Amino acid sequence: MTGGLSVSRTVGRLSAVVLALFGGACSHRDRIVIGAKNFTESDFLAELLAQQIERRTGLPVERRLHLGGTYVCHEAITSGKIDLYVEYTGTAYTEILKHPPIADADSVYRADSLEYAKTLGLTWGRPLGFNNTFAITVRRADAEKYGLRTISDVARIAPRLRAGFGYEFLQRADGFGGLARAYGLRFAAPPTAMDLGLTYRALAQGNVDLIAGNSTDGTIQALDLVALEDDRHYFPPYDAAPVMRTELVTRHPEVARALAELAGKLSAAEMRRLNLAADVEHRDIAALAREWLAKNLP
Amino acid sequence: MTPVLEVRDLSYRLPGAGDRHLVTALSFSVAPGETLVLLGRSGSGKTTTLKLINRLLEPTRGEVRLQGEATATLEPYRLRRRIGYVIQEIGLFPHFTVAQNVGLVPRLEGWPPDRIAGRVRELLALVGLDPDEFAERSPRALSGGQRQRVGVARALAADPALLLLDEPFGALDPITRVELQREFRALEGRLGKGMVFVTHDVREGLLLGTRLGLMHEGRLAFLGTAEEFRRSNDPQVKQFMEAA
Amino acid sequence: MNLLRFYGDHAREAFGLLGQHLVLVGASTFLAVLIGVPLGVLLTRRPAWRGPVLGLANVFQTIPSLALFGFLIPLPFLGGIGARTAIVALVVYALLPIVRNTYVGISGVDPAVREAGRGMGMTDGQLLTMVEIPLGLGVIFAGVRVATVVGVGTATIAAAIGAGGLGVYIFRGVSTVDDTLILAGALPAAILALIADGLLGLIERRLAR
Repeated sequence: MTGGLSVSRTVGRLSAVVLALFGGACSHRDRIVIGAKNFTESDFLAELLAQQIERRTGLPVERRLHLGGTYVCHEAITSGKIDLYVEYTGTAYTEILKHPPIADADSVYRADSLEYAKTLGLTWGRPLGFNNTFAITVRRADAEKYGLRTISDVARIAPRLRAGFGYEFLQRADGFGGLARAYGLRFAAPPTAMDLGLTYRALAQGNVDLIAGNSTDGTIQALDLVALEDDRHYFPPYDAAPVMRTELVTRHPEVARALAELAGKLSAAEMRRLNLAADVEHRDIAALAREWLAKNLP
Repeated sequence: MTPVLEVRDLSYRLPGAGDRHLVTALSFSVAPGETLVLLGRSGSGKTTTLKLINRLLEPTRGEVRLQGEATATLEPYRLRRRIGYVIQEIGLFPHFTVAQNVGLVPRLEGWPPDRIAGRVRELLALVGLDPDEFAERSPRALSGGQRQRVGVARALAADPALLLLDEPFGALDPITRVELQREFRALEGRLGKGMVFVTHDVREGLLLGTRLGLMHEGRLAFLGTAEEFRRSNDPQVKQFMEAA
Repeated sequence: MNLLRFYGDHAREAFGLLGQHLVLVGASTFLAVLIGVPLGVLLTRRPAWRGPVLGLANVFQTIPSLALFGFLIPLPFLGGIGARTAIVALVVYALLPIVRNTYVGISGVDPAVREAGRGMGMTDGQLLTMVEIPLGLGVIFAGVRVATVVGVGTATIAAAIGAGGLGVYIFRGVSTVDDTLILAGALPAAILALIADGLLGLIERRLAR
């Protein structure tokens, strides 16, 4: 999922203008420019891809990290200011291509690839392996006590639980309303609306029993929480995958080959650990990317 | 007859300020109907002496007796209600009417309201203010002289045996000052109270004092009647008279 | 226009949130007065405490609200989620102007008036209730006014901890990039602040005289 992206859309538009004004000066055709959205996970993924390209192809890669929201990155890549960045399939499907959300991951990915190639001159690489979606999350103690593994398991005991959700989750078309219908969830009281970040703390402290976090959020691990499986596939897929300018792929097919090596290699648990290391332990993302590549793709 | 006020060997040293004595070994007494004027330059310890008497400051040594009773044995606020206190800045309560100001101590002492009202009218008349005109006014609507008249009336409210006055007319214009001094002199005789009157104005002192004390660097350099004061050969007294 | 239509469609909800908002501001300001005025009075009696206490109240004000909520959630009695925690946070933010103005208002009383009161035999309590507080009331109330007006704005953050109020619309609006929703919360909060400022200003002028 796209934690906090839509919030910064207005800011994003502004940055796009700034980018359009000043970005042109630094476009070099002999080097590859990679962009990222303005949050840690996106920065890390861009760094990871950059290192993979550099070590496999020897081509120099310029990092333009923390650019802005979805809109800014999309503007940047379609106008050629950047050559690639990591996008989430569901975000492209609903925010860029403006389709109503659907649940099937393959259909979303196929539609994205097809339409991006046909109308935008962009090519989708293979998904990296994790889905950054809403994660219905409970305390580990409760998960073990009630034997909770999936959201369906929760439906049985929901009347005994108190839920706390962020405002975005309560408002979105693919948020709480649909979830409650899909699983027949009925909680003890209407869910408490609160700040997303605080829901983690409220859950850990026992003020609420169930929240909707982001599946790759490091806090899930740090606070000993459990993300439940969306066994009815209610949430649209938000698989992370590289989006490249088709022109880059034809000019340097070795880049696409290098990135293909990453396909399916990065699990949600792994991404959570990396986010935790970067955000909570304040580790350097370049070092984290180097370590991960050395271990997983020697 | 028991003196209204007896001061014996009274000393005051600023706490923590080493050897700096503000008042040293004062002894005097004040009989009913008597006004003791304390003269002296600023900083000579006059005001400090008054505050030691009503315990706004606590003496470091010595004893004060009010009508034969050691003040150290009384609750300070009880003691103060038995002593009228008039200061140069007057300190009327701006949020009270004139009547409320004058009736304050009786009110603190729990007098019934009609008795307070009667007392207030009596006192306003005594200090030359028409009760009907002034009782309900705000202190803000008074001239300096009128305010100080209210200040004196307020100090007299609970009929204290002793009155302490600290430069009461010091801030008034010369004409008003003379007028109030004259009236105050007439009051002294009628009231029959003991008074300690602080001033640095020798003429005021000679006019109002039964006896005069000259303070110098915290000590009583001279103590005697107005006549004795005029004729004294004491160098401090002479210097003070000449300067005035 | 969008806004009017929105209120038309959501009148009940909007009034409910407005009511919650008023309760949050009212309760927190009331408690802040209950704590802040005695604290300010205490500072006039214990001048050595002035620096540390005002310093602390100042620091409280600079704590970002989400961080403050983060601290409060695990606390027993004061913490958790919901209106109580929000009110605790709002009290924390409201303390400084009330404590400071109480201290300033009472210290600002003419020393001659204070000396006259003590010299005539007022106890410390009588001096406080009959002289110092009545005379300092204008300044003290100005502090309450500032605390209230600021509180109307600050109370929008109560929505971050499940306590409702007009902030709900702002949070919803921000999370869905819906300007109408943001306005639906922000505009009444601003109007409420202006009304509170005007009304309390009237009372304050009467008190200060």
